Amino acid sequence: MEFLNFLLILCTAWLLWRRPERERLAFGLLVVSCVLMALLFLAGTHTSFVPGVNL
Amino acid sequence: MALPVARLRSALLGVVLVLIAVPVGGAVLLALVNGDSPCILCWAQRTSMMLIALVGLFIVRYGPRPRYIGLAVLLGAWGVFMGLRHSALHLARDIGQGFSAPFFGVHTYVWAGFIHWVVLGVIAVLLFLLPEEAVATWPRQATRASRFAMGLFMVVVGANALQAFATTGPPPFIGQGDPIRFSFNPKHWVWADEELDGGMSLRGAWTVPQPVASATDPDPAHGPLANLPMSTVTGHERIGVPLDGALTGFARDPATGRFLAVTDRYDVYLLDSTLARVLHHVRLDPGFSIDLSTLTGAAFVGDTLAVLSTNKSYALVEPDPNAQERLEWRHFLETDGGVSEVGLGRFQTVRAHQMFVLSFAFDPAAHELITVSVPNPRHKSLVVSRFARGDFVLSSEFEPAFGPGLVTAALNRSPADYVITGAVVADSALYAISAAYSTLLVIDLRSHTIRAAYAVPGLEDPTGLAVRGDELLVAERDGRIAVVQRPTP
Repeated sequence: MEFLNFLLILCTAWLLWRRPERERLAFGLLVVSCVLMALLFLAGTHTSFVPGVNL
Repeated sequence: MALPVARLRSALLGVVLVLIAVPVGGAVLLALVNGDSPCILCWAQRTSMMLIALVGLFIVRYGPRPRYIGLAVLLGAWGVFMGLRHSALHLARDIGQGFSAPFFGVHTYVWAGFIHWVVLGVIAVLLFLLPEEAVATWPRQATRASRFAMGLFMVVVGANALQAFATTGPPPFIGQGDPIRFSFNPKHWVWADEELDGGMSLRGAWTVPQPVASATDPDPAHGPLANLPMSTVTGHERIGVPLDGALTGFARDPATGRFLAVTDRYDVYLLDSTLARVLHHVRLDPGFSIDLSTLTGAAFVGDTLAVLSTNKSYALVEPDPNAQERLEWRHFLETDGGVSEVGLGRFQTVRAHQMFVLSFAFDPAAHELITVSVPNPRHKSLVVSRFARGDFVLSSEFEPAFGPGLVTAALNRSPADYVITGAVVADSALYAISAAYSTLLVIDLRSHTIRAAYAVPGLEDPTGLAVRGDELLVAERDGRIAVVQRPTP
């Protein structure tokens, strides 16, 4: 899934560079990448979402 | 104080270039040079830095729109959390230990958390320097520097994509907890989704409720051992003074015959040998300096009165005719004026980590203090922990096994079924009373085995244990003291 996210980021950067008029689409892809990144981190920590220390 | 937008744009481009080249690009170089592969959490941290750089490029291209700045702050804050969560796995390890190799003396997960923290600071500085009219006057045309930044970004992200394909694979595979060394050779590639295994939890292994011994089954017939001999209660004594709160810990000084009693309201009573007179009384301040949870154990350590709370924190107090009320005010919520505090501390355990305790004892022969853990839903074991009297540091720990001659009621039963609420050392043995199944255990401190066990029917909420000659005194929560003949196995 990390690979997929990097492809999304590459697409976003390409839009930003070569198709600047597609700003809304580029920003939408950026937000999707952010959400996917956060979900992947949560997948790796789902057995203990908060740090394993005394709170 | 605002900077011209052109200079601000250049400064932002510089930040983006550093972010993409050093931590994100450097990570790919580590893979090529050292074979370093990121774990699933490292991947997320790396991706987040990449996304912050991309937001920076959005601002360079379209200007400082509020949604871009908002997203950058959100990514920075999330990155700080990721850094804390990831680093917490390793920060408390011993000197020099960590996950994977350090980089300039610091492990990469710590670097990532630090970088996100710096990002938040940089965003704040750039906002501080941002002119009011920046959104309208921001230069939108591409420059040589912005094209270079964009090109570098594409190259670095592309390299990361190739590394991600090799080490984590295409969807639905995801990053791994223990990633394998990076290789260009496909036969070394391992694609997995094992990080999705396991149930969801907010605190994982730290989800440990405070122990409630009174909620356990007191019937010895339901315990892990079958065919137990009986040790009957021969009588009851009572503490002859009203206690403020429930009795939660109890000890007797073999030298003077005095008793020490603690309650669930942080009261510490030094009683005479008849249990009828209070020699000294203080009420500890549980919130001063060290967090004392409910007091649960008491022990005489020479002239020092040691009391323990369920979270393995302790307080040491002594009768002191020269105690100064002005100095002791911070330690005690109440005092009779004749007691000084001599120390507060926390016991650190290894095997008994993440387990509460309900018992406390002192071994005068070994000069060691002893606690016994109580099992919880996350950690089911009975651990005897021993701490040196000199520095209160852990000396040894063991999980006692059933000795020969003891018959388990079923194959899946173990000493961890017991909930030890009182303990005392006598004749080189640790006597321990379990509120669960009302059973007295005799633990050999040398062989680390439970060499004998006795059913003690009729106990009600036992909370402490003391020895008086050939008698055992079992303290009960309501202030009564059950007298039991001390077995000699």
